[in-house]
Amino acid sequence: MPKYMLIMRGTDESHAAMMASIDESMAATGRFIEEMIKAGVLLAAEGLDLPGRGVVVDFSGEAPVVTDGPYGETKELFGGYFMLDVASKQEAVEWAKRVPAVRGSKIEVRRVAGSDEVPEGNEHLVEERARRESSDQI
Amino acid sequence: MTSWDAHAAVDGVWKLESARIVAGLVRMTGDVGLAEEFAQDALLAALERWPESGVPDNPGAWLMAIAKRRAIDHLRRAERLDRKHEQLAHELTTQPDESLDLAPDGDEVGDDVLRLMFISCHPALTTEARLALTLRLVGGLRTEEIARAFLVSETAVAQRIVRAKRTLAARRIPFEVPEGRERAARLSSVLEVIYLVFNEGYAATAGEDLIRPGLCLEALRLGRVLAQLMPGEAEVLGLVALMELQASRAEARTGPEGEPIPLHEQNRGRWDRLLIRRGMTALLQARTAGGPLGPYVLQAAIAVCHAQAATAAGTDWAQIAALYDALFRVLPTPVVQLNRAVAVAMADGPEAGLALADPLLAEPAMRNYHLLPGVRGDLLARLGRSTEARAEFERAAELAQNTPERAILLKRAAACGGRDDAVTLGHAVAAFLDRADLDAGTLRAYRHTMNRMLAHLGAGIPLPEVTAERVAELFAAAWGGAADATWNRHRAAVRSFAAWAARDRGWHTADPAARLGRRHEPRGRTPALDPVFVEALLARPGLALRERTLWTMLYESTATAALALSLDIEDVKSIGGTGGTGGIEDIEDIGDHTRGTLWGPRTAGLLPQLIAGRRRGPLFLADRRPAPARTPPSRDLCPETGRRRLSYERAEYLFKQASHGNTLYQLRLTEPAATRRPSPS
Repeated sequence: MPKYMLIMRGTDESHAAMMASIDESMAATGRFIEEMIKAGVLLAAEGLDLPGRGVVVDFSGEAPVVTDGPYGETKELFGGYFMLDVASKQEAVEWAKRVPAVRGSKIEVRRVAGSDEVPEGNEHLVEERARRESSDQI
Repeated sequence: MTSWDAHAAVDGVWKLESARIVAGLVRMTGDVGLAEEFAQDALLAALERWPESGVPDNPGAWLMAIAKRRAIDHLRRAERLDRKHEQLAHELTTQPDESLDLAPDGDEVGDDVLRLMFISCHPALTTEARLALTLRLVGGLRTEEIARAFLVSETAVAQRIVRAKRTLAARRIPFEVPEGRERAARLSSVLEVIYLVFNEGYAATAGEDLIRPGLCLEALRLGRVLAQLMPGEAEVLGLVALMELQASRAEARTGPEGEPIPLHEQNRGRWDRLLIRRGMTALLQARTAGGPLGPYVLQAAIAVCHAQAATAAGTDWAQIAALYDALFRVLPTPVVQLNRAVAVAMADGPEAGLALADPLLAEPAMRNYHLLPGVRGDLLARLGRSTEARAEFERAAELAQNTPERAILLKRAAACGGRDDAVTLGHAVAAFLDRADLDAGTLRAYRHTMNRMLAHLGAGIPLPEVTAERVAELFAAAWGGAADATWNRHRAAVRSFAAWAARDRGWHTADPAARLGRRHEPRGRTPALDPVFVEALLARPGLALRERTLWTMLYESTATAALALSLDIEDVKSIGGTGGTGGIEDIEDIGDHTRGTLWGPRTAGLLPQLIAGRRRGPLFLADRRPAPARTPPSRDLCPETGRRRLSYERAEYLFKQASHGNTLYQLRLTEPAATRRPSPS
């Protein structure tokens, strides 16, 4: 089953603009979500908390370094996503165009790769499965 | 904006808006046929204009405005403009344009879509017509996409749709959601259509090249939309839950060779957790909606039990058996009873299961259903009654339609151990067809012969009892009247099988091919097609280049379809763009093909277009790339596009579809090209 993820990518500026009229954006997003549910295409949607409340674990050096963030080094920040069950990229793009996004932000449209696109005997999948089985997660 | 972008946008917008547009037009015109025609006009207008003008800000309203204008034009132009039409046209013109705004402001639009679902699933229509009309009107699929999904011709689908529209008009079916007693029956017809669409996608045993436009996805979407439009309907939610849960296992249910993997052997790590969660939520909503438990809710509840089990061994079979008891009360069919027997056997032991399965032996509907002996074989084996189990598995293998399933059943039969030490025909055939040293074409031919032997003699017959007399009898009955070439092909298969069993395996055989004489084959027993017919076929507008080229090549030459399909670009390179004819002598490795011309001037004119700059790989390519897990040998893959070689089955299928059931073999000249009369054009 093909799935597409609409990834919201905002900048510090677009984020600030959205916060300035947060009630309006929330209402618009709510309407958009309702529209997708009515059309039978929305599988899931999540928005992330303020970037300032997050931390970044940086693997640039030998040991991972934890900093508050993400600031500065990232121009566009991952702010949330919509997961859609649609038949084609064209359709996903059409939905992306309707996201009530703030000027200056971007929506990235990406297909979610299915597990059948990885060979059955793939060692990582086998390990992952063994791990999940041993921890009763499946 | 480039034209590709605009076309992509039209595709996307159409998928999003078409149901609402068509539904609105049906409400205005009161006629499904007219509504669809005007919607199509609008779609064409978008395809023409958007590439130049760009995609409008509100594409849905744009399409609706065009469609509405066409509707008015049509009604005005109609010769017999009766007063009713006039009035309708007047109303449409004077309606304020805001009413066309398709912003999701209203239940009005949603209600129209709901009415559209009910009318396209109307019981006055045949099941096929309901499926086609619903996918077309509500799902926004093109006729061609529907045809491909159901493995029928576009013409057939178009006819179904036309007939359905006529029936709706002739019977004056109102555009409404019925109330009262009729409502429940009509709703169950809608649910049935959606679930049939889903199963067509889910249970498909499609050939390698067949393109499926995601029928499961379309059905899920229809179900989810319906659940929004009819909140609180338990069975609608139950169906959505059932489909979400079944879809969650889609990727885990076939192996790398396309063989089905039974539920208890599936890799549960590949189940889609998101869909499982959605299925569980929908089921919870269905239970909250209340009312008696219907068949969809109960089936969804069973699916949830499987989804919740961390391992196959951890399945709550007692709960599942109880749910099947309840399901059998509302849906007392033999298939439900058989499933119930399996669940009860898992919960209370094989004896209890067998007690439920045995009465089904008397059921006429189950007589040719391979799963009944399959299930009984399994239960008998678990009870240690291996001789009976073996007979049941062998019977199941005889009845099974698809080859992988048959192979599994024969393996299980062999595993039962046996009456004696002699190898059975079933076992020998399974091993013979399991050889890795035969090419796909040979295997396919052998399988055909072997299946016929199994059907006639039974899989359980010991190999030494497959005598020359019995085989000769089978041949006389099965192929006595067949073409000589057919007879010889089956004979060759039996000879190869006998030789392999005796020499490679050292099994005792009774020389089964001893009494089969080789027949002399005069060429061309099947009549060649009438040139007028062929010319008409080749002149058909919209015929794909690949088909045009292949058919022209076969028509103009002595080449067989198998040889033509085996051609690589390298083989035909010598023609370049010169338009000359190609000789069979130019090609190496053509085996014992009769020397002659491989293609004529018309083919030569088409080849450069077909090759279109490719330098290597198969000449005729399939429509899509194979799944990564099913990668064919590299000689059958195009290094540039990754698509595989066009298969014989697919080529034959396409020709049959286009030519009313004729075969590629009939596509040849009756006389040498030089002496043939020019065909009338």
